[in-house]
Amino acid sequence: MRRLATTLLSLAAFLVAWKLLTVVTGTPDYILPAPEVVAERALRAIGSGLLWEHTAVTISEILLGLAVGATSAVAVGTALGKSVVIERVLSPYIVAAQSVPILALAPLLDIWFGGGLLARVLICALIVFFPIAIATMVGIRAADPLLREMFRSLGATPGQITARLEIPSALPVLFGGLRVGVTLAVIGAVVAEWAGASSGLGVLINIADQGLFDTPLMFVALATLAVIGIGLHGLVVSIERRVVATS
Amino acid sequence: MSPRRLLLPLIALVLVLPGCLPSSSVSEPLRAVKLLLGFRPDVQFAPFYLAQEAGYFAEAGLEVTIEHSADVLVLVADGRADFGVADATDVMIARTSGIPVKYISTLYDRFPVALIGPAGTVPSDPAELAGLRIGTPGEFGSSWHALLALLEAGGLTRDDVTIRAYPQFNQVEGLLNGDVDLITGFRSNEPLRLEAQGMSVDLLTIDEVAPLPGPGLIAGDELLSSDPALATAFATATLRAQQAIAADPQVGLDAAIAAAPAIGEDRATALAVLRATVELWSQDGTIDSAVWTSGYETMRRLGFIDGSVPVDEMIDREVVRAS
Repeated sequence: MRRLATTLLSLAAFLVAWKLLTVVTGTPDYILPAPEVVAERALRAIGSGLLWEHTAVTISEILLGLAVGATSAVAVGTALGKSVVIERVLSPYIVAAQSVPILALAPLLDIWFGGGLLARVLICALIVFFPIAIATMVGIRAADPLLREMFRSLGATPGQITARLEIPSALPVLFGGLRVGVTLAVIGAVVAEWAGASSGLGVLINIADQGLFDTPLMFVALATLAVIGIGLHGLVVSIERRVVATS
Repeated sequence: MSPRRLLLPLIALVLVLPGCLPSSSVSEPLRAVKLLLGFRPDVQFAPFYLAQEAGYFAEAGLEVTIEHSADVLVLVADGRADFGVADATDVMIARTSGIPVKYISTLYDRFPVALIGPAGTVPSDPAELAGLRIGTPGEFGSSWHALLALLEAGGLTRDDVTIRAYPQFNQVEGLLNGDVDLITGFRSNEPLRLEAQGMSVDLLTIDEVAPLPGPGLIAGDELLSSDPALATAFATATLRAQQAIAADPQVGLDAAIAAAPAIGEDRATALAVLRATVELWSQDGTIDSAVWTSGYETMRRLGFIDGSVPVDEMIDREVVRAS
């Protein structure tokens, strides 16, 4: 209850500061709309179905990208954590892929995969992959060597050691990577939509900015992305509390 | 004559001489002006590069800084840039949305966007676009407006075709890949780039079907009311550069390469693009009322504007008239 009150208070302070800024500077709505202008625009976008039409597309891209990116990242991160050879072979490629700006890579992926949902999910998965893979690798290696030795002495197979010891002990770090990954997934979806899409919140931002000159609508789309990011982050934290506490 | 007697006439001469010189040789401080162009440097912006390099802007009393932005209209309206280049159709939407910006001089008197496809596959009747896959940057800008205007002229809507968005403006690759049947593009640019890749193309242009006004110079209301002479000086210097390039496109290409060396990576294509662009330019910058009225009605029928702001509030004809 106290946490909720603090959050609401912080939100109220943010809105008051925002409103004050627009009043004091006298900035026109097409540069910085006041909060009530954005709220009114949000209601219209919700009422017409416009916001949900684009939000649904972005959420599906985020969830699919997260699923593909996180699953492959955990698998690769586990392999990297368990084998120095695999790490030496794969690391340069993984780091190189992470170093290339996704904004520059996205149009290429869009063309290679013929556009559509597949290309956008892959772009999203790519941006999610790195923090989760690295967190998994670090977590796997953090398993207590004495416990690992004990598992071996008890005749545990490598698979059992991974499933029963290394992955559970990697969970706190892995969830750290997931927290970063879910917020990056939101960015990934928008970047993917900017590379080529007909709908989604990234597309709505483009339309509002370049097509309609509707700055309040841009704010609505940005706020929706922020809410999705906060929601997903909260979901991961909530799962983390349950899983890590019981592991 | 003593040195003292010589000194007095000499001082008098020094004081009087500047007043006798032609006014142009007196150095007055140049007025700093910021010009915003679209996303990235392009040979099609050659008039601005040439006006700067050849000193046309300076001779008009202007010291112009050229920058690129995706938000030209908003930044010009807000006074963070003095002038910009924008699509007339965007000016209509922006003005209707309450953004205080006006179209002051026509750069293109033929609408530069066309539908482009492999030779022999582009319908001449817009009604035959039904069922085709069309690549376009997205639901914004002159390409989108031209596409919808063409579809409307053919009695079609966006639901009668399959539209694929290329927000990075890489629809040429989509056409070369066969992902789409037609693309929207600048008729002086994409066709030449496709032909350079070995694809012969045909075009469906909009001028004869549903005329829309082309891109032009824009300025904010505040500047136009406080200093209309500045706008006239800028538009006149730009027009002078356009005329110089029309007479010899090579000077425009050289200026463009000097401003953005990457343009020189493919000189032949860049020069061909510039030559084709010159064909679309306005001769004198005047604003064509008939095309604006027709385009305004088309934009209203398509739902981009609601008709609440009349054409006369979107344009300022006096800037060019005063030149």
